[in-house]
Amino acid sequence: MILQHTADGILSGAIIGLGAIGLSFTMKILRFANFSHSELLTWGAYFGLIFISVATAMGGFGGTFGPLSFGWPLILALVFAAVATSLLALLLHHLIFERLAKVTGHMTMVFASFGVALLLRNAVLLIFGADPIYYSNTLQFAVKLPGNVRVLPDQVFLLGLTIVVVIALHLFLTRSRTGIAMRATAESPDLARVSGVNVNNVVRWVWVIGASGAAVAGVLYGLTVQLRPELGFALILPLFAAAILGGAGSLYGAVLGGLIVGLSENLSVMIIPTTYKPAVPFLLILAILYFRPQGLFGEKS
Amino acid sequence: MTGLIKGCALALAATICIAGGANAQDCPVKLGAILPVSGPMGQVGERISNTGAFAVKLFNEAGGVKGCPVEYVLRDTQGQSAIGVDAAKSLVDLEGVAALIGAVSSGVSLPVLTSVAVPSKVVQVSCCSSSESFTALAEEGKTEGYWFRTYATNRSQSAMGAKLAIDSGFKKTAVIYVNTDFGVGLAKRFEDDIAKLGGTITSSVAYNESQQSYRAEVTKALEGEPDSLFLVAFPVDGATITREWLALGGTDNLIVNNSLRSDDYIQAVGAQYLTNLVGYDSAQPRVASVDTFNELFEAEFDGPPDGPGLHSVFDAVNVVLLAMEQSDEITGDNIREGIRAVTADGGTEVYPGVEGIQRAKELIAAGEAIRYVGATGALQFDANGDVQAPKMTWKLDGETNVETGYMSTEEVAELIKMLDAN
Repeated sequence: MILQHTADGILSGAIIGLGAIGLSFTMKILRFANFSHSELLTWGAYFGLIFISVATAMGGFGGTFGPLSFGWPLILALVFAAVATSLLALLLHHLIFERLAKVTGHMTMVFASFGVALLLRNAVLLIFGADPIYYSNTLQFAVKLPGNVRVLPDQVFLLGLTIVVVIALHLFLTRSRTGIAMRATAESPDLARVSGVNVNNVVRWVWVIGASGAAVAGVLYGLTVQLRPELGFALILPLFAAAILGGAGSLYGAVLGGLIVGLSENLSVMIIPTTYKPAVPFLLILAILYFRPQGLFGEKS
Repeated sequence: MTGLIKGCALALAATICIAGGANAQDCPVKLGAILPVSGPMGQVGERISNTGAFAVKLFNEAGGVKGCPVEYVLRDTQGQSAIGVDAAKSLVDLEGVAALIGAVSSGVSLPVLTSVAVPSKVVQVSCCSSSESFTALAEEGKTEGYWFRTYATNRSQSAMGAKLAIDSGFKKTAVIYVNTDFGVGLAKRFEDDIAKLGGTITSSVAYNESQQSYRAEVTKALEGEPDSLFLVAFPVDGATITREWLALGGTDNLIVNNSLRSDDYIQAVGAQYLTNLVGYDSAQPRVASVDTFNELFEAEFDGPPDGPGLHSVFDAVNVVLLAMEQSDEITGDNIREGIRAVTADGGTEVYPGVEGIQRAKELIAAGEAIRYVGATGALQFDANGDVQAPKMTWKLDGETNVETGYMSTEEVAELIKMLDAN
């Protein structure tokens, strides 16, 4: 059973990691803890739903891929959700966070993000209702891997896609001018500005990358679990745990943090009653803040 | 605040008009209700509350209590114990009610009982709380007889679950249950009951409500390769668990508790995956008074009284109002005795509806004993204020659920006696 819990942990950790990337970047580069980030996962998932519904209404695009529960509409829905969620994030930045950043401090931004989170969450509730929704009502059955481990084919796709996204982001951050400018801004916005970096542009890129990661994580979560208005809200603690664990601003830190959170949540049920599982991310946050406040990959400041 | 005062003035004027020159009784007679009309149980709670109000309306059409119209004073609990206790306190202290109807969840009813009803000597009759904690409390004498419920306890639920598992030929059952007073009590009883009937438990896993995914819980419950699953859950989370259970290779031999006899649950999982599901639920006895209620309800609400708590809240209201009618003076203590009096064996049977209540009032006025037989049949409160109810078993036929068996109150009592004995 330990293998099964490990597999479950890695798979749920991949989603948390993907979602935590954006959170980690906003914490480092925009310098505030964005509590509305988790709602971008929710919106991403529901944007995906809109696309899939429209695609299905138009007759769909052929069947499903092999053992997977979906076909082309979901792949396109991922792209659509990433674009739509990025636009939403840019809108929030433009209307709220950019203005506030000019006139107030970090704490106001944090509280504002709480308000934005409430607004976003209840908007989903208002538009789509409270009932859980599935992209496909057909149940997908797990396949048995060696070692008596059961995984859903969709989950294998999820893991693969996460790896692809992380590699792509790594290349972007190390090879492209924008990526390098982002890292420079993370180090010191003032130095970056005097070196000719367009900081406003960088900030917009942070939102786009964060929102796209959140949207992909949201759609994958919707695919392998379900869609609910509280989808993102329920993940907020694991997301923060992952981002803090990894160290703000670190790509691999966020992903590794996600995996650690996912694994420890799932493995914990082997020693503690399942009802205490939601407390595990809390304990992780406490432990990391106590022993290594800058996170695993963070630098001491 | 002005709105409140205006409202009171209006209500006062109205009651004076209706009551005219009534007797010494202060009019109107107030009946408090504490029900979750909003929050996660809002849909269920609102239907229950409307049915309670309907019972009051019929009673008023029959002449009210002691010539006074009855005012149904509803307070929302939102399904939360703190709000429920506040609501009950305000009903008792400010509105001066002598009896409370409610609450729905055991977790709300219990603190209301111990911190409001018993200390204030006010009768509390719940339509829906099934936890065995109340029985235990009553046995310790801590309810002082102020507690009644018109809904059968958990005791019969675990017995029915175990019986279904054994009758279906299952040997190794896994249990997944909701981590509430209700679920914990039921799961614990189930373990004892199924052991006595010759089955075994592979694992018993609690889950917290409103989580997104229950993969870890399901994986744990899959240990030991169970041949069946007893699921104690509510529709939304229950559907999530069932989907993950089936997807991860769990058996489709499912035994589900009564709250999952709901279209929400069946549609969310997909009826095609639930062909081997069996369940149980409380049933109404097969007597004429139940049909009378069903007809009255249909005429009022344009639909059948399907859903939890409707029959039982109707009877909760009626026994309290009849007990008031029976009392010289409307006090908690008198109602406590009155409820026993109007449901005791040997009285002339009276039935729901305007005519039935009118007949009951005539008999009471003439000093004769009555026996209320209502929407849940002939109520029989035991020393702890508990009732037993018949049970039915069901399965799915396509999308609709069909009854597969019926056990009368006596048969259920027999089963429980057998399980408790050895």
